[in-house]
Amino acid sequence: MRVTQGMLSNNLLHNLSKSYANLDQYLNQVSTGKKINRPSDDPVIAMKGISYRRQVTEVEQFQRNINEVHNWMDNSDAALDKATKALQKLRELAVQASNDTYTGEERENIQKEAQQLKDHLVDIANTKVNDKYVFNGTATDHRPFDDEGNRTSAFNTDDVMIEVAKGTELKVNVTPDDVFSEAFFDRIDEMIDVLGSDDQEAIEASIDQLDANINSTINARADLGARMNRIELIENRLSTQEIVAKETMSNNEDIDYAKAITNLITQESLHRAALAAGARIVQPTLVDFLR
Amino acid sequence: MSTFHGLEMAKQALFAQQSALYTTGHNISNANTEGYTRQRVNFETMPAYPSASRNRPEMPGQFGTGVDIAAVDRLRDKFLDMQYRTENSKAGFWEAKAAALDRLERLMNEPSESGLSQSMKQFWQSLQDLSTNPDNSGAKSVVAQRGQALADAFNYTADSLESIRDDLKAEINHHADKVNSLVRSINRINEQIKQIEPHGYIPNDLYDDRDRMIDELSEIVNIRVDHVKSGDSSPDHADGLVTITLADEHGKPIDGATLVDAEGHIQEIDVDFSTAHGAYEVVTGVRVGEDTFEMSQGSLKGNIEAYGYLQDGQVTGIYTNMLNDLDQMTTAFTEAFNRVYLGEDEGANRVPFFEIGDANRPAATVRVHATIIDAPETIIASQDGYGDLASRLADVFDEELADLDDTSTHKFFESLIGRLGVDAQEANTMKNNTDVLRSQVDEQRMSVSSVSLDEEMTNMIKFQHAYSAAARSMTAIDEMIDRLINNMGLVGR
Repeated sequence: MRVTQGMLSNNLLHNLSKSYANLDQYLNQVSTGKKINRPSDDPVIAMKGISYRRQVTEVEQFQRNINEVHNWMDNSDAALDKATKALQKLRELAVQASNDTYTGEERENIQKEAQQLKDHLVDIANTKVNDKYVFNGTATDHRPFDDEGNRTSAFNTDDVMIEVAKGTELKVNVTPDDVFSEAFFDRIDEMIDVLGSDDQEAIEASIDQLDANINSTINARADLGARMNRIELIENRLSTQEIVAKETMSNNEDIDYAKAITNLITQESLHRAALAAGARIVQPTLVDFLR
Repeated sequence: MSTFHGLEMAKQALFAQQSALYTTGHNISNANTEGYTRQRVNFETMPAYPSASRNRPEMPGQFGTGVDIAAVDRLRDKFLDMQYRTENSKAGFWEAKAAALDRLERLMNEPSESGLSQSMKQFWQSLQDLSTNPDNSGAKSVVAQRGQALADAFNYTADSLESIRDDLKAEINHHADKVNSLVRSINRINEQIKQIEPHGYIPNDLYDDRDRMIDELSEIVNIRVDHVKSGDSSPDHADGLVTITLADEHGKPIDGATLVDAEGHIQEIDVDFSTAHGAYEVVTGVRVGEDTFEMSQGSLKGNIEAYGYLQDGQVTGIYTNMLNDLDQMTTAFTEAFNRVYLGEDEGANRVPFFEIGDANRPAATVRVHATIIDAPETIIASQDGYGDLASRLADVFDEELADLDDTSTHKFFESLIGRLGVDAQEANTMKNNTDVLRSQVDEQRMSVSSVSLDEEMTNMIKFQHAYSAAARSMTAIDEMIDRLINNMGLVGR
């Protein structure tokens, strides 16, 4: 085949521009850390990439939702803890008052303290976390009890559900009925009433009534505790999923730096060789050797 | 044999070698001229003496009488030209298509943290956040803004697609104009050749010009080139006139689609656009003269396929398909979203979340209802439970929609990008393949036709030596005649 200078320089240019295209590709890979920069580089990786990204976002979002769940549960639990303590204090006071040794005046003082404890319990029932009443079902923007401990018209016992994984919704609140039932404050009111009297029989009877309150509070906490355990399991699962999803995404589209840099260096050497060879071959012609 | 025969022969040789030197100079001058074909002076021997005839002198053997220039030839292979033009059409087609897909890929910008899918994800996240804080007006504002951001992403993508389509239309028209201007120029060269060839000349440089233009033409449209003799008295090895006809994908000429004929008639091409098919303007056909023909290969067809065209009455094309798919996705998603959002409550105290300005161009005109933007706190997040509506709205993205061929919005978009990737990959591969084939043919063609400076140098020396030798031979004959005339018959003087 007859080869001319024009062909040589055309080929040289063509190969150099191909070499530049390769350099550009490897450079892009190294500087972005991604195997592909556009769908046509590898349609399968691109399609999977979009899908994996969504998975990661979903997992992250559900983790955010779970933070919200913790917010609900931890605060509800803390409130119920305080409620239990208040109820126990109330019980102690009643037991004290049921002693024969107490005088009427002393019982009145106990009655006043009991009244304070009731107010405290009403406050607990109206606990507001993050601007939300946590013991009023889904009607979180209304207080469930008035200052006297009577249910308001907005009292609500619906479950608050939060999505914690695709298709999994979890109840996050304590149904107010389970703890602050219709009878809850009635029993306390009754106890406060009888504390003022010297009727020890009645006081002892009211202690039994109060035990029902304590039990329901403890039961509600036990139920909440069980759900908190479940949330922890889900949380563990989500963090595993997050790692897996991110790893899959990374495996799918991130470059192996060692490989990319090796490629880049190899290509660079090739490019230098092509330039050097080109410069040597394109320059001389027969003219240089004729006198 | 005449006394002065040798002088004449040496003169012929001087002329012949000189013209070969000039041609070498012409080649060197045009070594870098686009489309130039190297030329050669064809030497042939003069008729020998004596010729066979009744009154021939009786002498032993025939004597050579010197050199003559038979012709100045172009070293070119027509078969390679044909191959080159076929490959050039294919390469032009795939180059145009790959360029259009490349722009589309850049525009869609997937997979990334800033494309349409990112806007969808962020909107989904804001709905999830709202579902956990359904009464929080901050969360509602975020939903309204992210919803608008999603609508903006749709608007931006659709608007950009349309503006690229405007560019493509300009390019299509430009290509058609270029075809017409090339056709006129080729016809003009045909006319010139028709005037020169019958006089026995071979207008090599005009052929080069014409071949270069035909090469250019073949990149835009697939053509079939035929050669026709320019006249009875034209030399046999003259290239003659060319006729150019649009060709189908097998390279067969299409009946009636003649661009240039040997009689000097030309037909110009014209691209017809119509807005009567669907929401977007499409190419309805390419006319040659009065009739419409199907294009095969060439960058014109590549751009038409990118812009959008009618095929068997159906609108198709890279950009129109993308626009229609985005429109389909926008309509299906916003309808499903509004359906969930409004529930049974339409009109009473809820406005639709998304609204579409122009039903023909949903992706370009979708937006969040003005009431919601003005007063995000009116967004309703809970229907039967705590944030249940927001949660169900978030699920719309994963809902399989009949309007999206029973896939979810997410999946539909993913497959859209997947298809784009596959198409672009095919176009890129084909572009590279056809480019390799074309450069291979071009290589072969250059191997035949391009100027090699070393070769010209060698030839120059060859002809220079021959010229000097011819001059020396003339001197020898001169001395011989001098001896004959001035120094003969002087015996003993």
